[in-house]
Formats: sequence, structure tokens, C-alpha cells
Amino acid sequence: MNNVSVALRGLVLGTLLSTTAIAASAQSEAQQFPVATKTLKNGMKVLVQTDHSIPNVALYIFYRIGSRNEHPGTTGLSHFFEHMMFNGAKKYGPGDLDKAMEANGASNNAYTTQNVTVYQDWFPRSALNLIFDIEADRIQNLSFDAKKIASEREVVASERRTSVDANNGGILDEQLKATAFIAHPYQWPVVGWMSDIEHWTMDDLKHHFEMGYAPNNATMVVVGDVTPEEIFQLCEKYIEPIPQHPPPPPVTTVEPEQMGERRLIVHKQAELPLLMIGYHVPQTNSPDFYALNILRTVLVQGESSRMYQRLVDKDQIALEVTASQGPAFDPTLTIFAAQPKQGVDPQKCENAIYDELDKIKKTPISDVELEKAKNIRLVEFYHQMRTINGRGNTIGTYEVFFGDYHKLFDAATNYGAVTKEDVQRVAQKYFAANNRTVATLIPDNGEQGSAKQ
Amino acid sequence: MNPERKALRFVVSALLVLGFAWTSRAQTLQLPPHEKIVLKNGLTVLLMEKHGVPIVDIAVIVKSGSVADPAGEEGLASVTAGLLHKGTAKRSAQQFAADLDFIGAEFSADASTDYTAISSEFLTKDVDKGVDLFSDAVLHPVFAQGEVEKLLAQEIDGIKAAKDEAQSVALNYYYGYLFNKHAYGRPVGGDELSLARIKRDAIAKFYETNYTPGNTILAVAGEFNAAQMRAKLEQALGGWKAKPSLLPAIIGPTAVKGKKLLLVDKPDSTQTFFVFGNIGTAENDPDRVAIRVVNTIFGGRFTSELNEALRVESGLTYGAEAFFDSRKEPGAFAIYSFTKNESTTQAIDLALQVLAKLHKDGVTPEQLASAKAYLKGQFPPSIETSGQLARTIAAHEFYGLDDDEINQMEARIDAVTPAMAKQVIAKHFPEENLVFMLIGKASEIGPGVRKYATQQDSRKISEPGFWPGAK
Repeated sequence: MNNVSVALRGLVLGTLLSTTAIAASAQSEAQQFPVATKTLKNGMKVLVQTDHSIPNVALYIFYRIGSRNEHPGTTGLSHFFEHMMFNGAKKYGPGDLDKAMEANGASNNAYTTQNVTVYQDWFPRSALNLIFDIEADRIQNLSFDAKKIASEREVVASERRTSVDANNGGILDEQLKATAFIAHPYQWPVVGWMSDIEHWTMDDLKHHFEMGYAPNNATMVVVGDVTPEEIFQLCEKYIEPIPQHPPPPPVTTVEPEQMGERRLIVHKQAELPLLMIGYHVPQTNSPDFYALNILRTVLVQGESSRMYQRLVDKDQIALEVTASQGPAFDPTLTIFAAQPKQGVDPQKCENAIYDELDKIKKTPISDVELEKAKNIRLVEFYHQMRTINGRGNTIGTYEVFFGDYHKLFDAATNYGAVTKEDVQRVAQKYFAANNRTVATLIPDNGEQGSAKQ
Repeated sequence: MNPERKALRFVVSALLVLGFAWTSRAQTLQLPPHEKIVLKNGLTVLLMEKHGVPIVDIAVIVKSGSVADPAGEEGLASVTAGLLHKGTAKRSAQQFAADLDFIGAEFSADASTDYTAISSEFLTKDVDKGVDLFSDAVLHPVFAQGEVEKLLAQEIDGIKAAKDEAQSVALNYYYGYLFNKHAYGRPVGGDELSLARIKRDAIAKFYETNYTPGNTILAVAGEFNAAQMRAKLEQALGGWKAKPSLLPAIIGPTAVKGKKLLLVDKPDSTQTFFVFGNIGTAENDPDRVAIRVVNTIFGGRFTSELNEALRVESGLTYGAEAFFDSRKEPGAFAIYSFTKNESTTQAIDLALQVLAKLHKDGVTPEQLASAKAYLKGQFPPSIETSGQLARTIAAHEFYGLDDDEINQMEARIDAVTPAMAKQVIAKHFPEENLVFMLIGKASEIGPGVRKYATQQDSRKISEPGFWPGAK
């Protein structure tokens, strides 16, 4: 199945906007985003988008493996593995990969989520061959050096101390997820519990590599100063010979319906308290995705948003209020976070958040709010699309999480179709008391031993 | 939170400020054409058409930052900037937010040490509304008492929240201790005590004195016709009243002699966050390109000497780096990392050894070639968007740099020789004279770190302020 298809998609934004001027400019814009695709014989799908405006390339490889594919005792393994992918293979030994890339003008990074592990290369087009050589080497011939593993374990422990121990948001987020999920693997932190970081074995690592790093479990996106033809040729030479093997077994655990509010408190030395409230919501490819995003925009995006106006501006009980929800294969959480001001009982922030949610459940949002939210979403689209790096990440995210990158170009239409009633319906359906977990961090600055009451 | 392999935050932000490297293609990347106009009222306007994405970016520099704060009222420039959009002659704060959000536009204003940066971004189709909102905030803020009190209270709590995350305040402490009484040591956002002293009248006065067309550079880049944009800006900003400029010149800070160490006690710390260095360089330093090349090798990328030693080879930390935070006058040079409490002195010792090795052995020809390729290869994405371009040309105008800063960058990088590298190491990288700042659990790490300096100072993180001069 050597199937090459080139998609030239117009962005159909006309339905979204009341003015016609933007529809015209958006369509001319869209012609600059043709995506060429090819599925290699080993099952890896490759997406290419040409842009000659700078002589550089952004290359993303999305592996469909993340902390949801882990088990108790080996939490954080996906993320640790992400680190190991830079620590040597057959042709490029320990340290060689980074040195070769940087000496040729390239830089790299990677990130791990609950769902995916993503590798990023940014380089001048002169480094194209090198990058493919490196990527092919580490997908098929990763080395497992015991000394390197021991040292990288310490690096990841340091990362955890920084992002969790020294970050109240990190601590509370971790505790919230561990409480909101009782069955599904979204309950443990992507970075892993410290005791697991300290105890993975070589066998655990090898098993993880076997399981996740099959070419048929990956999607490659290349954006920038390249042509689809040259990328497909490089893929044929470097990537296609890598044999396919079975992808990770499906995650079959379904989080049971939550049947009542859960609450937790973290006592810790801190200047200010912190509040997070998580509600179970569906996975990214759910039809309610668009209405939920519009609802979040109305609630927290911009200083005119309802929760900013209420908690920060009018009641002056919080410094900040946010709502976050990342892309997810399985049902996930929308998490509201508020930073209470000093001396303010976090309960006050909590009540104000519920009050604002209740208002929308009772009365639909206004036409102006709906139009505003759609306009904000459109500008965000341009933001993501304005750099080769943003386009690489966005095309890949849509391809992986919606199963089809075309959904990126349909997003404006899908947001345009959201009605006030849709927004009200998802508010009623998902943001109910029985479906929430409330986490509060209470500063505990008393003398040791006499602190907790 | 998605754990990443690298989090070299300081390097990234320093790169954005400096403008960095270059492309190695035969045909070098050039700044798109742009024009400079000085309006009758003295306002400098820079216009650059950049087609492809239907967005307009405005970047403004008001040439007054925290160095213009009166002593004891640190944070005044920052608060003034933060209030620009919180109520104007024709819009309440709420109305401004509603109008801005409705078109998905952005407006932000932030003080730094040397200047206040204001930026705005909107879709080309909304250009009239976007320019109107922007000029309304910059020309007609009213500083209503209620909004002033609200913001000051938020800023004070914001500092407390930041102190809960050691790495977010590490540089505040380091700069305060390094620059000491020099204006560059003041916390740009103020501290818990100085903010409490700021009154509405002081804000209004700061605005009247500093927000004048002659003291301002305005750069616009994006999808528009330059002639039409010029006409729009003249209409919107031409009526801004000219005023004589009263800005005092700043005298640069002098390097610290000897060694001193500040330990900030954060009793719940599991890691020590440490920064050390001395006074660095000015933005227009004639050695700036050679410094960038050498610092790339020393502490400015993943395979830098520092990161190799502290992370890759020893696993002591998630990241180690060095950077020059250059300003109009010489700013700071800093080496930064963090490690678990038990390995604090091991990590600092190792960082000191890497610095000593730089002075002793210099850099190899292979390292030079690699760093040059890296800087050139990574440069184009830093001037890819209209927002980046607008900020770049505004900064060049402010620092007195010209387009060759970009257009000749590749040639200048290529021209760096081993002899030049040796020279800048001796001249710009500190060796014996060092200022240390550590945030960590003092009861555990205090005794071990005494060896680094004869002068020792300490404070608790819960104490208000960041620097010895804070009262």
C-alpha cells in the first residue's frame, strides 16, 4: 500500500464569520497549507507540508505511547524512555546524537504526555540526511547501557523535584489526578512516582521499547523548506526498511462513572493556597470537543471571560483562574485552577467557580459571547499556523488525536456549528457536583509537630 | 504538564532578547525591507510589510523601565504598564477587555530594566479596531483609583506565589545581590514592601513624564500596505503631545571584586537552585558575536561544557547553563543549575571546574566550528513571524544597532577566530571574582557552601523583598 495522496484543502471559514473579507483571505491562506501524505510499507504515515519562507525544517515524530500504556510499579517509564532515546544507538553512540545534530545546526527536544511521546527536530535543510540517519538509527537500534541508565535516572529525579516538589501546581495536579481516576491509567503522573523512577529494571525498559517503538505505531510530520518527493525518498531509504511489529496492546480499562464528589487536601509549606477542580469529560475525538472548548473560552480566556471578571476583577478573591484540557485518547479531565489571594479562603473561589458554571447551566451564553469565543479560536488557528514548528505540532496532533489531519482544516467549520444550546448542554452534562474532584493546597507554616489540625 | 527532555528556560529567553544566530545557506537571510519615519511629535515609527499570515503586530518600546523607578517605589514602571489597558478616557477596563477579546486580539505591556515593551496583535481585517484599542491604551489611560488598588494587591500576592516556586525568583535574588545598589539590581516588578508604597499620583506622574512620543519607538510588521498603515498611525498617534525629554543617563554597573554568597532559606526545598557569576556585557558590546559563539560552547546549548558535565556525564541535574543577560549598560553573566540537597557542593564544585577549564584550555577548533553551525542553523526561526520581526527592529532602534545585526550575522559568526575566542574568555567570563546566590534548605546545605566566599549573607524566602537594599 504505497499510497501517496496530496490534499489541497481550502479552509472553509466563511460559515464562521459574519464578514466576507476574512473568508477570502483565509482561503488564499489555505492554499499555502497543502499537506502531502504517504503511508510507508511498514505502516508509518508521513505528512509533509512545504514552506520555503525560511531555509529550515521542523520534523515531528509522534509515537502512540504514553503513561496510559504503563502499569503500577513502572509509572514514568514512557517519559524516562523519551530521555533514553537521546542516549545512544548503534551508529550514533552515547552523546553522539546531540553532538552530531548541533554541529550541523540542528536542535532537538521531546515531550511525553499521558497519550503520546513526541520527538522534535529543528534544523537547516542542509541537515536533512543526518536527521533521517539518526531517527532511523534510534528507532531500530537503541542501546541499553547500564551506566547511562543509572545517570539518566538521576536526571529524571531532578526533573521531578523541579516540576513537582518545587511547584505547588505540580503537586496538586498530581494528587488531583490520582484521586479523580481510580481505575484508568490517567491516575498516575507522566513523570512517574519517585519510587518507580528509582526502581525500573532493564527488562522494563526493553519491553517498553519493543512495545511502543514500532514504525507502525508512529506518525511523522515534516514542515518547511522541503518537497514531499525528497522526504518520501528519504523515508524509503531510511525508515521503510525498519520492520513493523505489533503496537502496544489497547488500553481497555474504562474509568467507571464517578458517583459523588471527591475532595482532598495537601498541607505544605507555602506562601499562598491553591485550588484545583477536575471534571471528567470525554476524549478529544468526541463530538462534544468543540462545544467544551467554546465553553472554556467563555469561562476563562481573556480578561472579559466570565471567571476572570468574577474572581479576579469583581470579587478580587483570586490572582488567576484557568481551565485546561489536553488532547487525550480516552475520557479525561477539564481542570479549573484558581490561585486564591492571600487571606482568602479557597472555599470562596470554589463557590464562585460553581456559581459561574450554574449560571450557564441555567441561562445560555449570549450571542456576543459565542461569536467572541469563535473569533478567539480562529486567531488561535493562525497562531498555530504561523510558524513551521507550530504547523508541525498541530498537523501531527490532529492526525494522531482525531485520526485525520483534515480535521484541522474542518475545525473552523466545527466551531462555527456550535450553538449556545450546545454550550449549555455540555455545561449541564459534565460540570456536575457528582462528577468533580476538588483539590486544595493549604499553607502549613507552623512549627514542626504542631502543624496539622 | 508534559515533562520534556530539556527545560533551558533562561537560554531561550536570553536568545529572544539577543537575537541569535544565522543560516548557513549560500543565500543569506535578510531582514525584509522596512522604513523609518519620525512623526512631527517626535514618535519614531518603523514599518515592515510581512505577507503570508493575515496578522498585524505592533511592538512599542517606551525608553523607560525599572531604572526610572524612584528608590523605595520599585515596581512603579511595571505597575504603570500593567494599568494602561485598565480603563481609558473612553473605555472602562471591562469594556476594553470586551472589545479586545471580541476580535481575538492581544495587548500586553511589561516593564523591563531599560524600557517598557508594549505589544499588540490582531487580524488584518480588524486593523482599524486594533489600532484604535492600542492607541487608546497607550495615549489615554486614566489610572482609576479602584483599578490601581486592585492591581497593586494582585502584584503583591503574585510575588508571594512566585516565591513558592524557587526557580521563578532565583534571578530576582541574584540580580539584587549582584548589582547591589545599582538600579539594575531593583526587582522590575517591585517587592511586597515597595509595591505597598506606590500611590496613584506617582503612577500618573510616571506616565506623564515617560510616556511621550519623543521617548517612544513604535514598530509595526505584518500583512498590510505600508502607506495605508502609515496614514492610520499618523491619524491615531499624530495628536500625541510632544514633551521635552527629561531622561537621565545611566552609568553602568562595575564588576564585583572578590567573592560573596547569599543563601536564601527555603526550608521545604528538596533541591538547591544556584546562580553565580558577575557583571556581563552591554547589548552593543563590540565583542557580542564572539561572546555568543564562546558561550554557546560553554553554557548555551544542550552539548555545552556545563550541561555535559552536570547533566549528561554525572546526572546531577536536569539542566545547567550560562547566559549573558545583556542590557543597554552591562548586565549580568550567570551560570545556573539545580541539584538535590545532598549534591549541592558537588554540583557547584563541578560548575566551577568547568569555568576554570574554559580559562585554562579555551575552546577547540572543532567546538568553534560546531557552535558556529549551530548558531547559524538555529537563527531563521527567531525572525520567522511578524511579531518577532517587529520586536527585533524596535530593539535594534533602541540599542542603536542597524540591520547588519541580522544581515551580516552569518559573516560575523564565521569571522570569529580562536584568538578572538581566547580574548573574550579572558575579558568577559569571570574567573576569581564571583557572586553566588543559592535558594535551598539552609539547615542542610548551609555549612557546606561556606567555602565559596568569605562574605556570607542570608535571608529567609518568606522575608519580604529580594535584595539587601529592600526596606
